[in-house]
Amino acid sequence: MKTIEVPALARVEGEGGLYIGVKDNQVVEIRLDIYEPPRFFEGFLVGRFLQEVPDITARICGICPVAYQMSSVAALEKALGVEVTPQVYALRRLMYCGEYIESHALHIYLLQAPDLLGQPSALDLAAIAPDVVRNALRMKKIGNEILKAIGGRSVHPVNACVGGFYRWPDASSLKALLTELEWGLEAAKETVRWSLILPYPDLEIDYEFVAIHHPEEYAVMHGDVFSSTGKKTSVADYEMRYFEEHVERSNALHGHTANGGTYLVGPLARLNLNNAQLLPAAQAALQGAKLDLPLRNPYKSLIARAIELVNFYEEAIQLIENYLPEGPAHAALTFKAGEGTGMSEAPRGLLYHRYKIDEQGMVRFVKIVPPTAQNLPRIEADLLVLAPKLVDMQQDQATITAEHLVRSYDPCISCATHFLKLRVENVRDG
Amino acid sequence: MRRDDAAGLEIVRLWQVQYPLSAARVKVEFCDLPGLALLDSLVGMEAAVLVDAIRSSAPPGTVIRLGPDELASFTPESASSHGWGIAETLHLGFSLYAWLAKCKITLFGIVGKDFELGAGLSPEVHSGVQKVVELIDREIQSLIN
Repeated sequence: MKTIEVPALARVEGEGGLYIGVKDNQVVEIRLDIYEPPRFFEGFLVGRFLQEVPDITARICGICPVAYQMSSVAALEKALGVEVTPQVYALRRLMYCGEYIESHALHIYLLQAPDLLGQPSALDLAAIAPDVVRNALRMKKIGNEILKAIGGRSVHPVNACVGGFYRWPDASSLKALLTELEWGLEAAKETVRWSLILPYPDLEIDYEFVAIHHPEEYAVMHGDVFSSTGKKTSVADYEMRYFEEHVERSNALHGHTANGGTYLVGPLARLNLNNAQLLPAAQAALQGAKLDLPLRNPYKSLIARAIELVNFYEEAIQLIENYLPEGPAHAALTFKAGEGTGMSEAPRGLLYHRYKIDEQGMVRFVKIVPPTAQNLPRIEADLLVLAPKLVDMQQDQATITAEHLVRSYDPCISCATHFLKLRVENVRDG
Repeated sequence: MRRDDAAGLEIVRLWQVQYPLSAARVKVEFCDLPGLALLDSLVGMEAAVLVDAIRSSAPPGTVIRLGPDELASFTPESASSHGWGIAETLHLGFSLYAWLAKCKITLFGIVGKDFELGAGLSPEVHSGVQKVVELIDREIQSLIN
């Protein structure tokens, strides 16, 4: 029996393993075994007061806490029939800009680029290209500073609430970030140019891309669910077309469409479906890149992230320049029993929340569908495409090759349950 | 939320209570999943005392002190996951920023036993907390006096 075992997949969030079954030199099975323990957030939110939800759901992820906050407040506001003011909406987008900047800078330079450049880790990349990594850390820091200015701290910010924010952040603390944001915008444009010369493995997949779409803005918190198949679904009807199922090997649920197909959420989906809504500098960066859209190479999600970096630096500058808080920072809430759905685009993809609340504002039901759970079946399918090459490789090379592909997704196993041991073994008959 | 992983926070909170005069003379920062942002916290610092739970083959509750020279020679096995540990972050910082070498960094680590989901320290780690409190105050006294 031929067995290849990878002890752990590095530079992804959470723990899991990859098993490849081989029979007669043909791959017969691929499984992502997600053994990160379940975290039960949906369970222990039940019985909580609704205003506790944004701060609790933020704890699901240290990289994308804003996404969890924004999807939860959107759903709870829907349940209460609350509309937020344009100023609140703008500040929420600015907070999201901070999250995209810190998350994308981290993934591009410290998680995926070392793979493409043949370096074992960001530490090794720093040894040969210290200026690149210094700039990456500076870019990332700006995102963290935005979160800190709005939410009091850069990890698990605490200012967001149902109806708006607990308080308006000081304009001076935001405007103090403009100089660094202007530097970051230029660094992001350079990141796009740099991303185009990286050596990407050849792999083209015929994905169904799914993302929120809005005709007037690069959709992050508002719009309908668009599929590259042409189907359009309202957020309220999301669960009518997109399903989750439990598979025995995984503590993370697996997402699929109503017809059982896999689909892809995240930066590739957003860029392919929403590129017309990019802001001017990001649009110019996209045009300059001369990409043949839609991008179907999972490794090239790095390019999509780089273009989004330009977009979110650009938007953060605009939002701060126009920041003029007026009136109360949050809407007055009148509690009533109800149900609401909310959705936003986390850096890793579409994040769906649904809540039922009672007349005292206590949470009675929660459903959370994170992006990585939706992408897990798609990652397995991609690995199946890659598998014939893996089988012929030595253990070390097979591990690295599989890890590269998985990391290009920037999966957050902790969010999805919540990576990677690789086993390749020959399957015996019977 | 991962039991003994909270040991650093518990130790520093207890030190603040027991040694308020020392605590008033230094900047105290609770870094909740700091990752790479740990480097930002060290900018401009002449010295820093880091306190954290660690994994080791040593018995749970064992206290380990690593001085500046030992930290500077850290060779972590990998920078894994989104979460950069202290070892990886300092290693990256030393390779990128000359100023970091001027910051006298000391790490007090207490070997954890239980890093599963849940609250509360394991008895072994709990019993070692007071010792670390006294050690870090002695370290801080030597730095500020």
